[in-house]
Order: sequence, then structure tokens, then C-alpha cells
Amino acid sequence: MRLTQQEADPIGAITAAPIVVIGAVLSLGTSLALTWVHRSEIVAPVAAVAAIVLVAAAGAVAAVSAAPSRAPFTAERLWLVVTLAVGAAIAEYMSTVGSNQYLYDDYGPVVIGMLILSVAPFCTWLSLALAGVLASIVLSILVVGASAYVVADAPVAALIAVNAAPVVALSAAAAGYAYAIIAETLAWQREANRAALQRDSELRAGIARSVQQSRVSVLGREVLPFLAGVMTAERISVADADRARELAEELRRALRAGIESTWLDDLAANLRVSRGVETLVDDPTGAADVLGDDQRSALTALITWLADTGRSERVSVAFSPEPEGGLIRIVADPAARPPAKRELDRFVAVARAVALGAESVSTRENVTVELRYVIE
Amino acid sequence: MSLGLPGHLARDSLSRALAFAGHCAAFACLAVSISVGVIVATVGGTPGGWAGAALAAIMALALAAVARFPTVTLTVLALVIGTGIMIALTVLIMRPGGFATTNNALLAMPRIALLLVGGAGSGSLIAIVWASLGYALGEAAMFLGVALVGGVYAPNMAAAAAFGILIVVRVFDGVSRRSDARQETGLHRASQQTRELAIRHDYELRATARLHDTALSHLIAIASAGSGVVDERLRAGIRQDLGLIVGRDWAIDHAGPTTAGSPQRASTGARAGGSDVAPATASAAGTGAGAVDDTVATTGGRSRRRAAARRTSAPSSSARPDGGSAREVAAADGEPSLVQAFTAAEHAGLTVRVTGDVGVMRVLGPARAEALDAAVAQCLINVARHAGVAEAELALGLGGGEVTVAVMDSGVGFDESAVPDDRIGLRTSIRARIEQQEGTVRLWSTKGIGTTIVLTVPEGGA
Repeated sequence: MRLTQQEADPIGAITAAPIVVIGAVLSLGTSLALTWVHRSEIVAPVAAVAAIVLVAAAGAVAAVSAAPSRAPFTAERLWLVVTLAVGAAIAEYMSTVGSNQYLYDDYGPVVIGMLILSVAPFCTWLSLALAGVLASIVLSILVVGASAYVVADAPVAALIAVNAAPVVALSAAAAGYAYAIIAETLAWQREANRAALQRDSELRAGIARSVQQSRVSVLGREVLPFLAGVMTAERISVADADRARELAEELRRALRAGIESTWLDDLAANLRVSRGVETLVDDPTGAADVLGDDQRSALTALITWLADTGRSERVSVAFSPEPEGGLIRIVADPAARPPAKRELDRFVAVARAVALGAESVSTRENVTVELRYVIE
Repeated sequence: MSLGLPGHLARDSLSRALAFAGHCAAFACLAVSISVGVIVATVGGTPGGWAGAALAAIMALALAAVARFPTVTLTVLALVIGTGIMIALTVLIMRPGGFATTNNALLAMPRIALLLVGGAGSGSLIAIVWASLGYALGEAAMFLGVALVGGVYAPNMAAAAAFGILIVVRVFDGVSRRSDARQETGLHRASQQTRELAIRHDYELRATARLHDTALSHLIAIASAGSGVVDERLRAGIRQDLGLIVGRDWAIDHAGPTTAGSPQRASTGARAGGSDVAPATASAAGTGAGAVDDTVATTGGRSRRRAAARRTSAPSSSARPDGGSAREVAAADGEPSLVQAFTAAEHAGLTVRVTGDVGVMRVLGPARAEALDAAVAQCLINVARHAGVAEAELALGLGGGEVTVAVMDSGVGFDESAVPDDRIGLRTSIRARIEQQEGTVRLWSTKGIGTTIVLTVPEGGA
């Protein structure tokens, strides 16, 4: 369960990216509105302004970090956001220190909570919960300082509890969401894996029927009758000997081609035939076989999407091995409807979610995506 | 193995996750309410705190019930109970001398819990409806409470903000899913496709390797012999190997039920055997027919089977009750047996001595029996090809929930690590088959003394 939604369901996280912007804007709006509401309590205007700037900074960091093109959202980014937001709460405390009559109109806790909630799709439930707890602790210290001036006649402990409530409630919601969405996704994945294994075995059973046109079937239909012919003939003719040499060579070639090629070559061949888009694979070391299942899926999805009639005229995939892994360079020559950058980013984010270092560059001439993989 | 949630599940999954998030927040609010009540009662010396804590606890119970069983009845019940508690809490908190208006933090927390009750059904719209109901009931309860006890009514801003956050999240969820990014990215289709490609590739490679193993040496021999009379040894070699693969479903390991593919294979067999030399015809035709349907035995096939049965001397007479071969009986019943293995031995001209009861195959499921049969067949083919002897021993046994078949020969033996990689018979045809059925393959071979292969598979199976 130490997963984030971004890792387990990358598309879901991409879809959720705008909510971070919304959360950031709402946080800033809240801080502005509540600063206006308790303007009479402000003793240090500089601190009040600094608090609003810090809220804006925290929101900006969160929104930028969650952008699909900067995936994955690391734990450090969460801490940066929370630290800035807590800084805003401290600055707000400084701005009203000594004359803060009501804690109810302080925006610090709400802003921290809202920012934690809005990055929930990108963090593990544990780190979200921890962020909530740590922020509450800092806020509690502030409340102890503020309690002397507060109008309400209540025990300090009660003030602490009430003041921390927004952070606690909103980070509980964030952690709950992160936990539940991962549980849902993993449950589905278990189901899907079972179905995939079932399909695999059905496919294996039925494969002979569907590959009558494959290389080996065609070859078998030539070689076997030829051998039978020789077996039953009296003499071998010169033509027979030549034919035998030819077939032997073809058989060797087929085996070598089979050993050297990978599933990716088959994918390219499929795309060439079905879509009519020239798809080339240059993979001298058969590195495509090193990729994990999810990485293969991400690569297949990207290539299939690029090699669409109208989107690209030509797609080439080149593997270059490196000491610890390798680099896959996918270059597409755009056609009438060139791939949009925003859509491409989605695939880049998916690739990043499956541990492929991904960069994409779009120019007028071509679209280049570089995926870097590591062999474990 | 498969990335993320597919489009059709995303809606319900996200909705459930958001509802769960709401419940977490509601429990957090109520927990704070309870602790504030307890603190006020103990530290603050105000006994009313106990009542407040108890009311919040009852609300938490109602919420837990809805979280556990999200039915319409329970949701409505929780909202009614929550509304009642809100009235009571307002009366309790708004006593004269306390808060100026109902816009305060203490009332906000149960209010927020009430609007987060959520409830039955999934989807953004239903969730927004439930939340609106919770919000409105809470507001009304507060109003009523103030009317009862006196005090100033003002809308609770914290509850309104929480309601606003919920609306934003739910609307965003509803709208963002319309873009259908999941469908367009096609990750799930891609995942299926890659698996299929890998399986096909693997299949092709194995089939090619098998064809390569069987036919290449003959092709080279023919090519290097040049024109002239066909060498008898070559002829015999070709006959033996064609017998092993022609007409059989040679290209695949997993010999499924012979249906759609059989006409193709039958014609291949017929073409291969469609010759003018009598013994060859009988051999090829017999093999072809045997592969197409084991229950249909042509005259030629039957006579050859009888011949084979004579050679296949089975000490256990129960295996061949009427003088026919065990596999003929078994094939007629459709029960698992070692049909392929005996057929392979027969075509390879190998005499097989059987100890133990072939009937133990019955404890295996059809696919597992098929796999074991095919693996034993491949073992016998290897003996015929490489061991340099014309006799092999087959021992069958059942014990410890496993079926064990040992294939022994006293041939030349070999060093497993020295077997070239392109000879994939042992690796794929035997080991892969057995391991796929959760079985094990053990092999002992000593040069000049012989080879023993022990195949073990668990009982049952598909």
C-alpha cells in the first residue's frame, strides 16, 4: 500500500492534475478573504503580506509539481508544499500576534489542509497523514502562544483541538482518498491479471488455428512436402539439391530472425500492415525483451497512438544500450494531424509511472520521445 | 501487469474513494468534537461537555453504519439522527454567555460531519444531492436550536466552506472523466496486445526451432549429396523424422482439441504421404489419420497400431485387456493415456517396456495428462534420435498425490549443459510443458551408461 495513485493509475493522476490548480487558487482566495475579515486584528502588515505570498508560493509549487510533464510527484515536493503552507500559518500568526481575538477566522489551518487534500492523488496515504499530523503539531504551538489573547474562555487543550480540526479533517480526507483509490486499483489489477492469465492460456491453445499465415507455417508447408518427395523419389535431381540448399538457408534465416527479433518487431509489422504507417524498429540486442510488462504496455500504447494514419507518416523506434540499461528513441514524422503536445504528455507521464525516464520534444519536423530504462 | 483503472470502472472506484475520504474527514471532525467535549468537561469543569461528547459519539456510530452499509435507508436514518443531534448540540452550545452567533467552530464540526454522510449510490450527482441534504438539514437544525434556546442565528461559514470544497471536488470528478483520456490512451488494449505479441513470438520461435531441428540436417544432406540415387540411410532418416512430425500438430506444444486446424494438417499429411512407395504411404497416412482423430483408425493405421502394440510389450496385462493396445482402448473411452508417447515410439521404431499401470494417468485432468503425454513422447523421441538404442523403459507410478513417469534408456548419455542452445527439445518441449503443469523434471545422464528422466506432475489439474 506504499503506492501513490500516480504510480498505480497514471491516467487518473493526469486527470486529477487540474484539481491542484483549483486547490491552489482556492487557498489563495481563502487567505485573501480571511485576511480582509480579520484586518482589524493585524498588527504587522508586512507579515500579513508575507503570509499571503507564502500561500501563493505553496500553491504554485503544488500546481507545478503535479503537472503531468513533471511526473512523478516525489515526497520532497509534498514536504516543500507543506512547509511553505505552515510558513504561511506562522506568518499569519506573527501578523496578528497579541491582538488575535478569534482563532475561527485564521486561515492557516484551512489552507494547509486544502493543499494537502489537493495533492492527495500524488502521495501515499501515509505521507499525507504524516503531513497532517506534523502541521497540526506546529499549529498547536502557535495556539498556545495565541491563547492568552483569545476572547473565548476555554481550556488551551480545547483551543488546540478546535484549531487543528481543519488540518486534521482535510488531511484525513486526503489520506482516506489515497488509501481507498489504491485499494480499488490494486483489487482491479488482481482481477485483470487473473483474466489476462486466462486469456493467455486460451490464446496458447488456439494459436495454431490463427497462424496459418505465419512465417513458420508457410515454411513448414514447403519443407515437409519437399522432404516427403525426396524420401519417396528414386533419385535426387540437381534442382532438388538446389532447392534443399535454398530451404535450409531459409530455415536457418527464419530461426535466426526469430531469435533476433522480439515482440516489438511483430508490433511494428502489425502496424505496417493494418495502419499503413511505416514503422521501423532498430533493436540490435533484442532489448525490447528486457522491458517489464507495464513498460511494454506503455511503449506499445505510445507507438500505437503515434503510428495512426493522419497522425504520423513514419515512426521509428531505436534502442541504444547503455551500461545500466538503455535508451529508446521514438521519432515520429508528423502527418496531417500532428500529435498534440498535451496528449503526448499523457503518454510521457504514463511512461514515467512505469520507471521509464521520459522526455519528449516536439518540433515542426518531428516528434521525439526518449525513454530511458534501467535493467534491474 | 496492467496499468491503472479502466474507463468503465473509474467512475465507481473514484466515487467510492471520494466517499471514503469524506467519511474519514467526518470521523476526524467528530473525533475533535468528542475530545473538545471531554476537555471542556474535565479541564474546564463544565459538565455539559459530557453531553456534547456523547452526542458526537452517537453521530459517529450512525456514520459508521452508513460507511459500512451504504443503503438508502441507513443514509436517511443517519441524516435524521444527525439532524436531531445538531438541534441538541445547538441548544447545548448556544446557551447564554457563550458564543455570539451560530457561526462558530464548535457547531461547524458536527455540521461538516453531517454533510459528509454521503450514502447510497455512486456518481457525482448523487453525492452532491446527499451532501446538499446534509447541509440543509444541519442549517435548519441550527436555526431550530437557536429558536429554542435563544441566541443569534448566522450561517456557519466553516460548514459552508466544507460544502463548497465537496462540490468542487465532486463536480471536478464528474467533469474530468468526460474527456475519456483513459479510452484514448488505450493502455489496457496495449497491455493485452503486448502479451499476445509475446506469446505469438514465443510460439513462432519454438515452432521454427522444432522445424529446424527436424528438417535441417536432412536438407543439408540432400543438398550436399547432389544429384544421384537417394541414399537409403537418408531415406530412412527422413521417414523416421517425418513420421514424428508430419500430420501431428507439429508446430505447437499445447495440443488442444483438434478442430479447425485439422483439415489443414490432414492435407499436409496427405501431401507428404501422397507418394507411390507403399510402406511410406502406409506410414504417413497412418500418422496423419492418427493425429487428426485418434478414435478414427484407418485400416492401415489400425494394422500399424497392432504392430506397434506387439512391439510395445506391456507387462501389466490390464493395460491391454483384449490384445489391442492400451492406448486404443483409452482413446476410445476418451480417457487420458499415453497415446502420443506410444505413437511417437512406434514411429521412431523404439521398443518401449512399460512397468506400472498406464491407468494412473486417469487421476490427471485432460490438459495435464496431455502435457505429460507430450513430454513423455518427446523423451522417447530423444531416446530414438540421440541415445543410439532401440529400446527404452517407461515406469509409471502414483504416490504422494503425484504421478511420476520415468523414462530410462541405456544409450550413449549426454551432458545436459553441453547440449547446444538451439536444440530446444529438452528445454521447451519437456521442461516447459511439465513446469507449466506445476510438475518437475529431473534428469540424470552419464556418458556411455544411459539417461533417466523422471517427470512428476501433481494429481488433478485442468
